[in-house]
Amino acid sequence: MNIEITDLTRRFGRNQAVAGVSLEVGPGVFGLLGPNGAGKTSLLRMMATVIPPSSGRLRLLGRDPGTFGPRKEIRRRLGYLPQTLGYYPSFTVAEFVEYFALLKEMPPGQVPRAVAAAIDRVDLGGRARAKLRTLSGGMLRRVGIAQAIVNEPDLLLLDEPTAGLDPEQRVAFRTLLRDLGERASVVVSTHLVEDVGAACTEVALMDAGKIVFHGTPDELTARGEGTGAAGDAPLERGYSAVLAAARSAAVVA
Amino acid sequence: MTAAATAPVRQRLPRGTSAVPLSAVRLLRVELRRNAMPWVLPLIAALFWFDSYRPSTGTAQLYALRTFWNMGQGHTIIDFGPFVAGVAAWMGSRDGRRGLADLVTATARPRWAAQLATWAATAIWAVAAYLVFVGVMFAMYAHQGVGGTPPWWWVAVGVAAVTAFSAAGFAVGVYWPSRFAAAVAAFGGFLVMALSSQTGFKYSSGWAEILPTNSNGNFDLRDSGVFFPWLPDVPIARILFLAGIAVAALGLTGLRRRAGGPWLRCAAAVITLAGVASAGTGAGLASTARLSTYGMVIPALHGAANDAPIAYTPVCGRATGVPVCLNPAYRRWLPDMTAALAPVLAEVSGLPGAPVRATQVANVNAIGAGPPQRIALGGHPPVLRLSLGSFDMPGPCGFCDAPVGNDDFANQIRLFFVQAFVGMGNGSGSQVQQAVQAALLRGAGIPFAAQPKLAAVSTNGPESVPGPATGPVYAAARRFAAQPAAARHAWLAAHLAALRAGGLTPEELP
Repeated sequence: MNIEITDLTRRFGRNQAVAGVSLEVGPGVFGLLGPNGAGKTSLLRMMATVIPPSSGRLRLLGRDPGTFGPRKEIRRRLGYLPQTLGYYPSFTVAEFVEYFALLKEMPPGQVPRAVAAAIDRVDLGGRARAKLRTLSGGMLRRVGIAQAIVNEPDLLLLDEPTAGLDPEQRVAFRTLLRDLGERASVVVSTHLVEDVGAACTEVALMDAGKIVFHGTPDELTARGEGTGAAGDAPLERGYSAVLAAARSAAVVA
Repeated sequence: MTAAATAPVRQRLPRGTSAVPLSAVRLLRVELRRNAMPWVLPLIAALFWFDSYRPSTGTAQLYALRTFWNMGQGHTIIDFGPFVAGVAAWMGSRDGRRGLADLVTATARPRWAAQLATWAATAIWAVAAYLVFVGVMFAMYAHQGVGGTPPWWWVAVGVAAVTAFSAAGFAVGVYWPSRFAAAVAAFGGFLVMALSSQTGFKYSSGWAEILPTNSNGNFDLRDSGVFFPWLPDVPIARILFLAGIAVAALGLTGLRRRAGGPWLRCAAAVITLAGVASAGTGAGLASTARLSTYGMVIPALHGAANDAPIAYTPVCGRATGVPVCLNPAYRRWLPDMTAALAPVLAEVSGLPGAPVRATQVANVNAIGAGPPQRIALGGHPPVLRLSLGSFDMPGPCGFCDAPVGNDDFANQIRLFFVQAFVGMGNGSGSQVQQAVQAALLRGAGIPFAAQPKLAAVSTNGPESVPGPATGPVYAAARRFAAQPAAARHAWLAAHLAALRAGGLTPEELP
């Protein structure tokens, strides 16, 4: 297992963002769905070793990220795209990706080739020398994806990766996700259920800091059949049905 | 899930031992290429030109005078410091301002190490620019024939100061990642320099010697780098102090939880303490500084070799047949010296106590004694010793109201020569010595009416109010001056020893 989570919680003051999540994720593309404020980003930040859990057990790539040495090794093999991607406007695309390759402590000899490959994979080869300040929002998102995959990570965490991408780019990105998922564990946090349906082999649905569904996209689709739940697509109806069921159960409890 | 459960965890290949330094170099290269410092350098260059270089060209062509303003009073540091601190704060706050904190935290390289690369690039740009600007300034001085050797130790102090400003500004940016961090750091830097300058004007010794804008180091002796080396004592203490500040500031940036692992943060704490210790040691050493013959010395740092005179081959000319030899740093003023001495040497030519040659000596601090004679006469045969470092040489003189004219300079030289010849020393002399002095100056072309002003200005400065050329002294002087030259010579030859001993009265003058 690349990700092993047991009863994980995270509090920010009085607010409990993640409330007892347990999960196991291996190679493949794993979709993390949920409404705004469900705790997806907090869970992803813990998996990215950016913030520590308040309680519970977290193991990544077979290691404990709570201790320095293993955490460092995890970070070498981690790719992370945060929800809001900051960038250095004066850097070129290639420099930005190279910068993160170096921060990930990639062997220096491999960096130039890896940078070029990562930029090509997000279809920005022609803009490698462009300053980041000159790029559109969608292109910047692709730069963010390039920096996340430059080290060929074993664990790739993508928070809203398709936000700002046009339909053509999103299709290409899903192909890239499937490709990456053949070897690594890819966790994609998204609002867009069609991304999950197209690319993910597994999906979890979070609400109020908890996992309220964990299964395959087909299983999620099945949850919506015959329920009359809102949604334009079968997967959306499954999403709505599961959320509605979880919330009504919470009210009863 | 099934596929996931069976997948192996990929193991990473071991990294080569040279990988870390090489990747650090590459990181530094990226940071150097995209650093904000070069954008500010044109502004600093303009300020440097107008504040550090231009005012210095109004001083005489000696390194101690030319660099008094820009090195001694630290204007090169004032020009750089606030801007460097501001840009460093801008770079230090970059990740926070740009919303990259999460992304960079999730990378393997300790955040502190990556930030040090950012700081290093900023500091390299700033220090390189400082060295280039100072180098160009010194090259222009050399082209203008400035005499002596440059104060390299003070350049090193400037480098340490620029580094300290960059580190302190960077720490401000790291701890306060806001767009206002740069402005606050720059203003803070300016405030520090202003306080340093004001304190430096107020305190000329003790702990205040540590302040980088305090000029009370070597700069009150203009023969530093001419007759004797620039003393390294105070600069070393200041470098310790400034380097300590830089190290402590950088150490502070490694204390944050996100900076790295526990060992790294422990190392940062140790580095911070080492920096504080270094700064404290520098300040402590500076507080023991005392004035010596060749400038400020710090006993714990001072080596005898620092007092060794600089060997030189004098440049010589002749005034009324008497050789006049100067340090080559004063070469440009040799014609002025021979022209100044010629009339007074002619007045005493052939007398038994007249100098057989004139030679320049170093202008040094008189420790435990009164002020040294600016021109002294002594030895067998008599030699005239000229301490030209105590005179404002002809030409621009820095903070004077007007440049020093050739006549003003020549008259001062003549006055002090005659004072030395009649044996007045630094005192006012006896009435007969004063009368003979006045008569000899009259013979050298300085009218009696102009002499009180010359004496007052030479002794007490340009604001002095001279008295009239009247009274028994000038009456005796006029009587003596009216004698034929042969008679004056004969009288002086017969009475010079008694005149110098102060045992004569004005009535005994012919």
